[in-house]
Amino acid sequence: MTDKLDKGTDDARPATVVSKDDGPAPGAPAAIKAIPVRHYGRWVSAVIVLALVGLIVNAFATADKIQWQAVGDYVFDSTVLAGAGRTLLISVLAMVMGVVLGVILAVMRMSKNPVTSWVAWAYIWFFRGTPVYVQLLLWFNLALIFPVLNLGPLYKDEMVDVMTPFMAALLGLGLNEAAYMAEICRAGLQSVDDGQTEAAHALGMSHGKTLRRIVIPQAMRVIVPPTGNEFLNMLKTSSLVYAVTYNELLRATSTIGSTSYAVMEMLFVACIWYLVITSVFSVGQYYLERRFARGSSRNLPATPWQKIKANMTAFSRERSSTV
Amino acid sequence: MTAMVKAEGVHKSFGGVQVLKGIDLEVKKGEVFCLIGPSGSGKSTFLRCINHLEKINAGRLYVDGELVGYRQKGDKLYELKDSEVAQQRRDIGMVFQRFNLFPHMTAVENVMEAPVQVKGLNRSAARQRALELLDRVGLGDKAGNYPSQLSGGQQQRVAIARALAMDPKLMLFDEPTSALDPELVGDVLDVMRDLAESGMTMIVVTHEMGFAREVGDSLVFMDGGVVVESGHPRDVLTDPQHERTKSFLSKVL
Repeated sequence: MTDKLDKGTDDARPATVVSKDDGPAPGAPAAIKAIPVRHYGRWVSAVIVLALVGLIVNAFATADKIQWQAVGDYVFDSTVLAGAGRTLLISVLAMVMGVVLGVILAVMRMSKNPVTSWVAWAYIWFFRGTPVYVQLLLWFNLALIFPVLNLGPLYKDEMVDVMTPFMAALLGLGLNEAAYMAEICRAGLQSVDDGQTEAAHALGMSHGKTLRRIVIPQAMRVIVPPTGNEFLNMLKTSSLVYAVTYNELLRATSTIGSTSYAVMEMLFVACIWYLVITSVFSVGQYYLERRFARGSSRNLPATPWQKIKANMTAFSRERSSTV
Repeated sequence: MTAMVKAEGVHKSFGGVQVLKGIDLEVKKGEVFCLIGPSGSGKSTFLRCINHLEKINAGRLYVDGELVGYRQKGDKLYELKDSEVAQQRRDIGMVFQRFNLFPHMTAVENVMEAPVQVKGLNRSAARQRALELLDRVGLGDKAGNYPSQLSGGQQQRVAIARALAMDPKLMLFDEPTSALDPELVGDVLDVMRDLAESGMTMIVVTHEMGFAREVGDSLVFMDGGVVVESGHPRDVLTDPQHERTKSFLSKVL
């Protein structure tokens, strides 16, 4: 079906172009009219895939044990919404912490000072080398070995009061993320050609200005896409803070699930909200990448809206040419 | 006339490899000074030493009477701070073989960048001046284009305008036409010829013998990290004295 539509537009476009000029130039060669290759394999595979999808949809639609009513009832439940809000909050805060610390670690790792570069290496080695789940539990149980947090004259308090579920979640996710962000930033900074730094230095720009005005803007093109992925990952990994009793989306929905006997239904609700949040941020990421692609290719990729408009005009052109 | 650049026994090695083995030469003010030689002869390295993109290992290098990269107090030599090196580089323009334009900025933004960031010029004045410079290199209509939308020859001319925007007293050209299609070389050389006529001191590493003969005031032939032969371009190119110069010129001319 789509095959045929595509062919239609392809045929139509040259036709309109020709009509815009004053007909084919005298002596121009006749356009090729050939019978297109038939792709039977595509039809067969489409049918098989559609059948499988149909089976799955049917299984869910006809399962009378699923209380679809409960899914609808709880999607906008205030407890669920508050949980989704906390998921968003902890993910954003942990990500901010990860980005800031990650940039610092990347600069430390690339510095000529062997001490700072070694410390950054060791940090990355530990936090990338151990599971984030284990790290969350380490922070949560810190009071077992350090009952009192004593920062000399600055601050002193019981560790259990400091290490709330929120703090354990933030530190666990944020410090872990910093290790990954450090490597992403380092890769980005190193991807910029040395000639750029040389050109900036030759113009008399300082190291700091060169980094800020020349290197980082170019590194962003390499840094932004994986950072967006990291954030989407963070939104989902944040469900692990269930373990440190922070009441985010998964914990909120499961609590309802276990009391209302709608375990699966509440997991569906959680999925719906995770999908909503990740989808919204994917769109944001697309525009951010487009912003940093300036100058790297001759034409910026079209925005979704521009694509829709282009398709609409292509469609109307096709119609006018067939009429 | 005083010397713009003076080199005394300049040595440079990378790891264990000696690239410059004692360069002595003098570039006068207002002169077009051409450096030729086979690849690996050290001519580009010498050029990069002049604005301290490379640190020399021995000898002395002066630009406009000032020691490059160091300060001498008594018989002790002190390394300059990064900010002081940057200060020295402001007055020395450099044009690279691979252009090295900033790809995330338009042509006019490339030219404006250093005057605004380094000299603290306000943006509208810098833009005005940048547009004039782009006009001067024949690219007034390309001000809003990104480097990726320009041909190699156009990019190199923007790079020249970018260097000129800092009002340098010395311009270094590192094989400015080597990465260009033969067809586009002429435009860049025309701009350089105009610049020479305006009295700019220029040191040009090049394989364009025609340009060297026509525009150059002095020429040095380097090989293996040493100056083999020097003199007026017409004399060296038409009547080389050394065997090595003769065999090199017989291959490139």
